[in-house]
Amino acid sequence: MTYALEVKDLVKVFGNIKALDKLTLRVAEGEIYGLIGPNGAGKTTSLRVFSTLILPTSGSVLVFDHDVVREPVEVRRLISYLPGEAGAYKNLSGLEYLQFMGYLSSEKEDNLAHIVEEAAKISGLGERLKDRVKTYSTGMKRRLLLARTLMNKPKLAVLDEPTSGLDVLHAYHVRGIIKQYAEERGVTVLLSSHNMLEVEHLCDRVGLINKGRLVAEGTPAELKTEHKAADLEEVFAEVAGLA
Amino acid sequence: MSRDPRILLGMILAPLIIFPLMGLMFSASTEAVQQSVKTMSVGIADFDHGSVAKNLTNFLQFYGNLSLQSITATNTKEIAALAQDSNVSAVIVIPEGFSKNITENLRGELQVYGIFRGGGMAGSVGFSVVQGLIDAFTENLTFQTVQQGFPENPEFVLSPINVAQGSVVQSNPVDVPPDALFSIVQSQLIGFPLAIFMLVILAMQLAATSVAAEKEEKTLETLMSLPLNRFTVLVGKLIGSTIIAAIGAVATILGVIYYMGSFTIAGPAQPSIDLAAIGLTPSALGYLILGISVFVSLLCALAVAIVVSVFADDVRGAQSLLGFVYTPLVLPIFVLMFADINTLPLGLRIVMFALPFTHPVLASQALMTGDYLLPALGIIYVVALTLVIMYLASRIFATEKILTMRISLGRKKAKTENA
Repeated sequence: MTYALEVKDLVKVFGNIKALDKLTLRVAEGEIYGLIGPNGAGKTTSLRVFSTLILPTSGSVLVFDHDVVREPVEVRRLISYLPGEAGAYKNLSGLEYLQFMGYLSSEKEDNLAHIVEEAAKISGLGERLKDRVKTYSTGMKRRLLLARTLMNKPKLAVLDEPTSGLDVLHAYHVRGIIKQYAEERGVTVLLSSHNMLEVEHLCDRVGLINKGRLVAEGTPAELKTEHKAADLEEVFAEVAGLA
Repeated sequence: MSRDPRILLGMILAPLIIFPLMGLMFSASTEAVQQSVKTMSVGIADFDHGSVAKNLTNFLQFYGNLSLQSITATNTKEIAALAQDSNVSAVIVIPEGFSKNITENLRGELQVYGIFRGGGMAGSVGFSVVQGLIDAFTENLTFQTVQQGFPENPEFVLSPINVAQGSVVQSNPVDVPPDALFSIVQSQLIGFPLAIFMLVILAMQLAATSVAAEKEEKTLETLMSLPLNRFTVLVGKLIGSTIIAAIGAVATILGVIYYMGSFTIAGPAQPSIDLAAIGLTPSALGYLILGISVFVSLLCALAVAIVVSVFADDVRGAQSLLGFVYTPLVLPIFVLMFADINTLPLGLRIVMFALPFTHPVLASQALMTGDYLLPALGIIYVVALTLVIMYLASRIFATEKILTMRISLGRKKAKTENA
């Protein structure tokens, strides 16, 4: 069976820090998979490896059967990555940013105007898209970046803390976009988050990561039942040995 | 990149405005000096009252167009005090017996004082004008004196040997004094490397900024995750920087031309020499080689700038790191302005040939000599060097080093991986 993402014994070492320690997980096509864990657990490092930005020290990562080390360009055609601390070119307007990024990431046969129109809709920024990015609030910028990530209909969207730093309304809007987009387009979504309650509502399956290892995995309901917990926060506290 | 106001203001508008502004201020102050010379006032303390003294004052007044103020005093100290309080630029003291001495073929003495009123240019210009007029008067006096003794041929006595100056250019004798020729060629040799220097500095800053800004603005990770060949990103950065640098260089050169033009108002008229007539016209091949040489050296500098900027966290860090690179890259431009590469010690010559910017300067010199072998070899060398650096840059771009490499300047930062 082909998985959207298949990670086996992934190890990543920075100097004398082992950021990922034999991480193994699988994400099925079409599901929303949440990778949760505390700061320093290895969430961002793993997403960066999946997105071909950094190389694994050992282990294997396949995206729709394409190896991230041997076929990085092919993998980049299938995925779209939203970094946790991403910025946009501040001297461009939101629309120009979408046009520029659409041009860079689309294939020749793609209809750029249609892609940009779609992205503008996803962002929900309306007339503000004509303003320069530097005038945007954090929430508006994040919505623009999310629209950029989803504009090319990737087969796998990799979102690093998509609602981090956003107020309730912006976070709600962003979660709505992800949910709707995944359902309508059948896009596989892999996202990381600190926010366990958000993940519980958004994700089909959840992986709990701690110290670079996957310590528990399942649907939110399965995990709560298995650990006799009221919510994922309690599950995580127990699994991480904090309870 | 082109939308960045720092680029529009700093690289294009600033040189277009600052240089002409400097020129304008310079020409305004020059005109002020010229105006002050025109209406210059000179003090005369005449203790002699003889015929030569009278001739001198007439000469200054009518030929020199000076406004003379008679100073009546008994000693030098009084003269100085009166001069300082007046508006005169200089004071000429004609001691008693001046005319008598000269008419008896004895040397006459004059005292000329410049009045110091701070460091303004007008003060020294005023003194020079007076000195020049006195020299002209003295020359006239010498001619008259010699004419009395040698009425047939006074010029011979004053200058028994006349030297006709000429130069040999590309094995041909030409009737142009070498000083004049060298000054014209030198002005071109200095002007061109300066233009290259500005172009290089601009382009390197742009290239380094364009990579470092991606890091600073947190757009690099997104860019690197797009389905683009990393080499394409690198080439895009190079081309963008080259285009903006070229526009910036044109703006700078236009500004400099205006600035330099403002100097000619005060300067002496340059002798007009037809370089084409004496065989010093650069050929089309020379310009082609020069153009290629400048272009490949520029690409080389840009590749270096990009490699350097990879090690920086932000734009400021990239600029600081570039500071270390400028010196060896632009050193040849300054060394070759003043020294011939063949006269340098062997070790230094090898270093100079190894540095990429030696070659466009040599190519600009070859425009005059017509010997294009060395510049052509230089182009091959710089292309090879650029390819090596581009390969290095593309290796860095192709790996995670572009995201993880850092050199921290100043305070040491612990490397953190945001996990």
